[in-house]
Amino acid sequence: MSILYDEGQQAIATESRRVLEARVNKDELLPLLETTGRYHDGFWTTAKEQGWTALALPEAYGGLDLGLIELGLIAHQAGRSLSGAPFLTSSFGAAKAIELYGSEEQKAKYLPGLASGETIGAVAFASGASALPAAPAVTLADNRLDGTATGVSGGLAADIAVVFANSSGTPALVIAELAGARRNTIDSFDNSRLFADLVFQATPAETLVAGDAARDAALHVLALQAVITAHEQAGGAEVMMEIARDYAVTRKAFGQPIGAFQSIKHRIAELYGHVELARANCIHAASREGQADFVTAAAAARLSATEAYDTASRDCVQIHGGMGVTWELGLHLHTRRARSLAIEQGNLFFWEDVLVDRLTGEAA
Amino acid sequence: MSNLEAYRAKAAAWLESMVPTFGKEARKGLSVEEDLAVGRKYQRAKFDAGYAGINWPTEFGGQGLGHLEKVTFDTEEMKHGFPSFYFGISLGMPIPVLMQFGSDKEFVKERVLKALKGEEIWCQLFSEPAGGSDLAGLRTRAEADGNGWKINGQKIWTSWAQYCDYGVIVVRTDPNVVKHKGLTYFWVDMKAPGVTVRPIKLVGGDSHVNEVFFDDVKITDDHRMSPVGGGFAVAIATLMIERYVATDSAGFGPHLDLFVDLAKEVELNGKPAIEDGRIRQQIARNFAMRSGLQSITARAMAMMQAGMTPGPEGSLNKLVAVRSRQKLSELAIDLQGSGGFGYDDHASQKEDWTSSWINAPTGRIAGGSDETLLNTIAEKILGLPQDHRPDKGVPFNQIPA
Ligand SMILES: Cc1cc2nc3c(=O)[nH]c(=O)nc-3n(C[C@H](O)[C@H](O)[C@H](O)COP(=O)(O)OP(=O)(O)OC[C@H]3O[C@@H](n4cnc5c(N)ncnc54)[C@H](O)[C@@H]3O)c2cc1C
Repeated sequence: MSILYDEGQQAIATESRRVLEARVNKDELLPLLETTGRYHDGFWTTAKEQGWTALALPEAYGGLDLGLIELGLIAHQAGRSLSGAPFLTSSFGAAKAIELYGSEEQKAKYLPGLASGETIGAVAFASGASALPAAPAVTLADNRLDGTATGVSGGLAADIAVVFANSSGTPALVIAELAGARRNTIDSFDNSRLFADLVFQATPAETLVAGDAARDAALHVLALQAVITAHEQAGGAEVMMEIARDYAVTRKAFGQPIGAFQSIKHRIAELYGHVELARANCIHAASREGQADFVTAAAAARLSATEAYDTASRDCVQIHGGMGVTWELGLHLHTRRARSLAIEQGNLFFWEDVLVDRLTGEAA
Repeated sequence: MSNLEAYRAKAAAWLESMVPTFGKEARKGLSVEEDLAVGRKYQRAKFDAGYAGINWPTEFGGQGLGHLEKVTFDTEEMKHGFPSFYFGISLGMPIPVLMQFGSDKEFVKERVLKALKGEEIWCQLFSEPAGGSDLAGLRTRAEADGNGWKINGQKIWTSWAQYCDYGVIVVRTDPNVVKHKGLTYFWVDMKAPGVTVRPIKLVGGDSHVNEVFFDDVKITDDHRMSPVGGGFAVAIATLMIERYVATDSAGFGPHLDLFVDLAKEVELNGKPAIEDGRIRQQIARNFAMRSGLQSITARAMAMMQAGMTPGPEGSLNKLVAVRSRQKLSELAIDLQGSGGFGYDDHASQKEDWTSSWINAPTGRIAGGSDETLLNTIAEKILGLPQDHRPDKGVPFNQIPA
């Protein structure tokens, strides 16, 4: 796949940006932080209407048969607009897990709903600090799940979850309907991500992959999600850089725009470096889907995008002085999102280890 | 196979065949002068094989091919450590500028051919003790002298000047106007009476840069390559030439693979260092940085191939890569602990951590310091305000020294 966007792809970027800028604004996003269980409805409705939920899924199941590149472009815009619903990543991850590893019946049963956006999917692999635990805390026996998956993004609203479980000592990737599970709400610094611990108690589940292949499958799904998240992070970092730049040319101190102080202007120039490296890694990773080095490329994208978004949101606030830390201005929406995205789909430690394992052939 | 891939394969095979004669091993232990002589032969071999002036017009002895072929060749060439650096500046800036701005076409053609064959070398005489980053702050002057000019003053940091035949030079011809309006661009004969070259020894032990003194050096007006007072524009054009050159995400230091090898060999707390989280983190971050730069470069190449103009993000290459090289080299030395003190000033910067480390600061200064690169990104790409410049609008001779 090409590393240059073609006309159709450019159009997806422009159109999704236009739509999101028209429909999502910070005054709707701020109240979401103050309660749990609410996401930005407008975003998800838009996503369904625009076919974004169907974009990267196969045509046979109601999808549009496009790929990571296209979905990445939308995620980039979603990151810019902070649109707030985690399902763009998590439903996609769940759908890909089913598409890649499920049976015909499983695909027919779940994919059309995920493609239309009527079904919301979540991916529940983590156990505490570990994104892909050696011994998953959730166990599978007789097609029933027991145990807790922690910090599941979108977990409060999801209908189904793809779970990484322990099936008498070997890993398994399974799918469970969440009607039969308990959700413990996490009151988070970024509530619109709908984080929950999912508590399974004899919850019925179907197996997608069992045995050692399940771990590779789970890592692959995480990598697909990581590429989408990285695009979202790169978009967030980019908009933070732009907001910082715009403020630096208008706000004056000591008789000149603050952007004339090198400590400010160099900081913004450094952000440009972070943003462009992250974007370059994202484009590269999306274009490597299906290739042997895909997970490596995904890890690199994730590392540089996390660094870009954290740095850009941190510096953008600093460049705004006192205004930067007001509730009203909303820059903290990005500060929060930068951190929540940094730990969704595996933190830096996780991806650093994955990357170095692959590069050096030496496990941590 | 695309045309470009075919070109790459052919170039790679040719380069491979040159290794026994011109590769690092063949040149071990040579003095700089001996090495330069080998370098000239290598440059001649390139010319004969059609790999000199790849993207230059055929009427000047070039190959008339595209930029992509040039970058492709350079990238392959970079893998072998051939003695091509002696001609890097010469063929990189002065000669292309001569082709563009030189008035006497016969003279230009002769010079270009000799330079392409490695028979003549040109240097770039811009920087001065008083004007490096602030190029327009230079003080070397040329005064009208009969039909020509007389140059007095001093240049510094002139790469390879001691081996050069000619140079391009920017000098002040009118101190009564604002600083960048009073400059004029010439070429000079480096062997002319009154030119003195004095090598400067750099931290790594080599002396490829020089001070160059001009004492009543007389040149005729046909040496002029810009309108009188219009030299700054040509100087900027010189710096803009070859915007897309072969880049190295390792910052022209050792490849990450070498660091991984070291981390596998060395022990930390009784275990291979590769198992240490701090080391793994640096490997991961370095890889992510390099893969980002490589992707930027790959995209620029793809855009050029598609007839588009690449974005400005290519300007990040030097800034990001050399800083990372500096840090990774420090870490590699740290990792060796008390085994890390050794230094061999003949070792290659691309293969030896100590050599890479001691020479890395050079890379962060030469061709524009980190700070001036950040200024360029901030001002030209992001539209941030220019720095406060107290000398703005002030005639040069009234700027307090
Ligand atoms: C190995 C080597 C080879 C070279 N080869 C050549 C050559 O062939 N021909 C040639 O003409 N020149 C050459 N140079 C010179 C090179 O271009 C200059 O050294 C460089 O532009 C910096 O100028 P300077 O050394 O005068 O440092 P200065 O300009 O004095 O800078 C000193 C410090 O001040 C900082 N600084 C300066 N201006 C600003 C600003 N506006 N904002 C923030 N910080 C600033 C710099 O970043 C630096 O940290 C070479 C240099 C080296 C090291």
